Amino acid sequence: MSELEYLLKRKQSIAARSDRWQAEAARFADRHRDLLPKRITNAQLYGLGNVVRSARRYADIERFIRHQAEKAERAGRLDVQGYWNDLKDALGKLRGEAQALLKTLPLPVETDNRQALDALHRELAGLYVQHLIAHSLYQTAGAKEN
Amino acid sequence: MSEQAVQEVALRVALERAIARQSDGYDQRARQYAGQLVGTKLDKTQIRGLETLASTTDKVSDITDWLKLRVGRDSGRDRWAKEGIGRDLVNELEGLRNDAKKIAQGLGQGDPDLERQVHLRLCREFLKHLAAHFEYLKAERER
Repeated sequence: MSELEYLLKRKQSIAARSDRWQAEAARFADRHRDLLPKRITNAQLYGLGNVVRSARRYADIERFIRHQAEKAERAGRLDVQGYWNDLKDALGKLRGEAQALLKTLPLPVETDNRQALDALHRELAGLYVQHLIAHSLYQTAGAKEN
Repeated sequence: MSEQAVQEVALRVALERAIARQSDGYDQRARQYAGQLVGTKLDKTQIRGLETLASTTDKVSDITDWLKLRVGRDSGRDRWAKEGIGRDLVNELEGLRNDAKKIAQGLGQGDPDLERQVHLRLCREFLKHLAAHFEYLKAERER
């Protein structure tokens, strides 16, 4: 498979997975709606979005989330700590998805498998977070309307 | 031309026809949305922005996320959140999945991603009508 074919297939596969995971990210936001927007603020969600967009490795995202959970724990906000821990688990699970996806994409020679997996995981996590932020803000606006 | 190539072309033609037929059926509904949208503070740049996003993205979720964000940020409720217009539009676009499913099933194709791709095409068609009606109605109103 040529580099171009690989990139096209990768792009299409990521798009399909992103669309599929949108409902799951929305369910995550729904499950935690009681925390929005006061315990988990829009600023925190935007901060998460910025970290995810600028992360070079998946570990950077995980570190940020762990840090948020620790901060919440120190402040005695266990519900908020739970939110970040749940998010860490949800995004962590996407590694399995990235692994399965990678198997369907014959990598061009000389590609570092570990790096390719991490990049894929980071990308899927970024899209999940995009859905999560959009749905959280949407839901908060809906709660205000009611 | 091989038989497989001929079949592929025939499928593509059938798909384009089905999408065009469906698109024509969206015109009136899109006009109703446009009619509501001209009653908001939105201008054509924002409607065009949505249309451009739809025509360039490869994900339906990018379109609905974009709309959800705008609804969420509209604290004045005079743009996308006015009288639930943004919410209705999100539901409308998500609902086009049913039409996409019928088209994909009708073609009896084995591609598991076809329904999603048709859904994206239908969203583009719907928003194309909506943007055209919006510009027309806006111009009429400003005349």
